Amino acid sequence: MAELSLVEELKVKILNALNLTDMTPEDIDAGQPLFGSGLGLDSIDALELIVLMEKDYGIKIKDPAEAKTIFVSVSHMADYIAEHRTK
Amino acid sequence: MPVITACSRITPLQDLTELYHELGMEYPKFFKMDDLCRASLLGAELVLRKVGMADSAPKTDMALVMQNGSSSLDTDTKYLETISPENYFPSPATFSYTLANILTGEICIRYKIFGESSLYICEKFSPEDLVRAVNWALRDHTCTGCLCGWADCHYGVHDVMMMLASREGEGPDFSADTLNDLYK
Repeated sequence: MAELSLVEELKVKILNALNLTDMTPEDIDAGQPLFGSGLGLDSIDALELIVLMEKDYGIKIKDPAEAKTIFVSVSHMADYIAEHRTK
Repeated sequence: MPVITACSRITPLQDLTELYHELGMEYPKFFKMDDLCRASLLGAELVLRKVGMADSAPKTDMALVMQNGSSSLDTDTKYLETISPENYFPSPATFSYTLANILTGEICIRYKIFGESSLYICEKFSPEDLVRAVNWALRDHTCTGCLCGWADCHYGVHDVMMMLASREGEGPDFSADTLNDLYK
């Protein structure tokens, strides 16, 4: 499981990247779904998260199907980052 | 001649996020929009509230005609920063707002306006041209009203005036003279 600090850092980065200025990190449950019923993100947000992964953690996601399995929740993303990050 | 049944004005001094909260709006997508779309959406909300139509009920008899001066230049510049050779990470969310007529799309989506929509880039607010374009839109017999006006944002300074021009109803004439007076 990813460190708590990475989860918290990721929450802040997601809020900034997706311009969710009306929310705070505390509003995000790390286990809640990012798409659909949870944060209600859309396809443009998914692309923005792919950019965030590459820009901030050096992780290139080329297969959209792979992105689907990574962007399940913040904790899922954090686990993936902890394992694959290059920066 | 159509009449103006409602009008709204958002000046550069008004903070858009504060206004959003003051209005008690619940539309999370607002926060993903650029300032031009935020200001336009708030202008539409204010007008449509005055006539009890700020909801998502389909509006098949309403058109939308807007004017804008600076296109999407602020967002274009912001996007340019994400594609500099030194730091090349194109932002999809920013890119999606690099067209001024996205503002008409955002308004139509939020309020389910299904009539014709158009946006004209003008050097400055041009009442004569707006009246001409709105009258043209209202020639469609299925169209009973036209949400219209001016929405601009440049260097982070927004300026919006929106109206509902209705084929029937009570209000001042929808004429260039009236628009000039309202915009002062």
